[in-house]
Amino acid sequence: MTTPAMPAPEIVSQSGNTMVLSMGPQHPSTHGVLQIVLEIDGESVVKAEPEIGYLHTGIEKTAEGLFWTQAQTVIERMDYLAPSSNALCYSLAVEKLLGITDRIPPRAQVIRVLEMELTRIASHCVWLGTHAIDLGAISVFFYCFDLRENILDLQEANGGARMHPNYMRVGGLNGDLPDGYLSKLDALIEKFPRRLRELRGLLQANPIFQDRTIDVGVLSPEDAVQWNVTGPSLRASGIAYDVRKAFPYSGYETYDFDIPARNEGDAYARFLVRLDEMEQSMRIVRQARQRLNTPGPVMIDDPKVALPPKETIALSMEALIHHFKLISEGFRVPPGDVYQSIESPRGELAYYIVSNGENRPYRVRTRPPSMYNLQALKGIAPGNLIADLVVMIGSLDPVFGEVDR
Amino acid sequence: MPSTQTPPIAGSAIDPPSLRPAIDDAVIERVAPSELRARLESLKRDGYAMLLDLGAVDYLQRSPRFDVVYHLLKLAPKRAGVKEIGAPARLRVLCGVEENERLPSVMDLWRSADWAEREVYDLFGLVFEGHADLRRIQMPHDWEGHPLRKDYPMRGPARERSPRPAFANKSNVVAGTPPSGRTLEALQEQVKRARES
Repeated sequence: MTTPAMPAPEIVSQSGNTMVLSMGPQHPSTHGVLQIVLEIDGESVVKAEPEIGYLHTGIEKTAEGLFWTQAQTVIERMDYLAPSSNALCYSLAVEKLLGITDRIPPRAQVIRVLEMELTRIASHCVWLGTHAIDLGAISVFFYCFDLRENILDLQEANGGARMHPNYMRVGGLNGDLPDGYLSKLDALIEKFPRRLRELRGLLQANPIFQDRTIDVGVLSPEDAVQWNVTGPSLRASGIAYDVRKAFPYSGYETYDFDIPARNEGDAYARFLVRLDEMEQSMRIVRQARQRLNTPGPVMIDDPKVALPPKETIALSMEALIHHFKLISEGFRVPPGDVYQSIESPRGELAYYIVSNGENRPYRVRTRPPSMYNLQALKGIAPGNLIADLVVMIGSLDPVFGEVDR
Repeated sequence: MPSTQTPPIAGSAIDPPSLRPAIDDAVIERVAPSELRARLESLKRDGYAMLLDLGAVDYLQRSPRFDVVYHLLKLAPKRAGVKEIGAPARLRVLCGVEENERLPSVMDLWRSADWAEREVYDLFGLVFEGHADLRRIQMPHDWEGHPLRKDYPMRGPARERSPRPAFANKSNVVAGTPPSGRTLEALQEQVKRARES
């Protein structure tokens, strides 16, 4: 079967006065490798066709050849600004297939929630910093990255790596929080409100920022649903759909928090929703911090899934065998399929996983929130200026590791 | 033909969705390709306004070979708070297709199906009838094959091992590592001394 060729990125004159222009894939405001083939009339966009796939790394295919635990490592690389959310969603899905969802220790669930909300703040920090840079406000970037650095320090403490901590496990967590973690967390909780006020102060009432974002890239609720937009972008259009409230996981139903939503549906509303969301995330972090005072196990007590504790390996033959089996051939997951979704910083992240009873996933289908959100650009770009297109891309917050996978 | 590099596929006629344990993640429905379009249209009328996801799975040894999976969410396209939304219904529609069978596109019902259908076409080679712009999305436009099919190999052919460069062959140098500065002079000096002694 022959495949139709891609539209020529050269400048070609179209009907009448329009011309075709390629924006990206090396454009600084495209936040990665996004190419947009634009049909423009003067400076206004007639049609925008995003071309994705420049960062396609075949993660879903790679995962089919790895053990269930190993696959999580590559899956974590999808959304590189919020790696833990990918890992958590995948773990939850595999736990459902294994039927061990109810047996995850409470402390592990609290730390998972804590990690998720910290990741959300860190991810929104990157979004805000880069979004502001696109609009010419450079200093915001440094304030955001300073805040994010504190969170990455915490991730490094518990996972061992700044960017991809690989801290989640099927059945719990890789280990308990290290010594000194809680004092660092307390310092962050202490520092956060002032920092967020500063960030708001820099942009929220800034007339230049308002001029650039208000009434730009308006998504009506009908369009948002039609384009399958989720996350902060959907909530900025007035629909307060949040997976944490609609389909709670990891005990989110026991936390007290609000879902910020706005009705305008423009880039400014998306900005406000994300800032409010950071505040709500910190509220959850504070509640989780209170619950961390109770010690307990952080990994399920099931030798068929969890590695035996290191100290038992030298003493117990059974532990040694379990360790050997888990390392050399992994665990097997009963056949079946499952759809598990979580609220990632970008929207509803979900995995549709099929297992055929083997020690490797048969198929891992991602529902990438960034991809669907970015696709909405086709609907909101026409009729706007090219300069506003930059604002729209920024306000939809795509991450290309996830769009292209 | 399955590649030797593809992990072995267990069982002859596998259909994990039919074996699944009780997991309450969605309501599941299986529809034949001929009825798919009508069923999805009626579901959309029933309030399933959001096409959450559209993907595919390749069950190589089964007939029909592929499953196209639609996830729908019953979400009214109007302003609503958390309470009004509650826990919206989620529905999974599975549709078995053969390799050369064509499915109707749902791009006109849900515009978000555009890229999702292109991705299924790109990675599985399934054609959606009526899609306005069905071309590759993730792979380069001149790519051959459809990578997520189970008979597509995991990696390319093994590359020939490149010959070791001459300077890496230690056999012409006497045994023992020079104490410091692995320079040509130091090595020659060492060889000379070894010959003299």
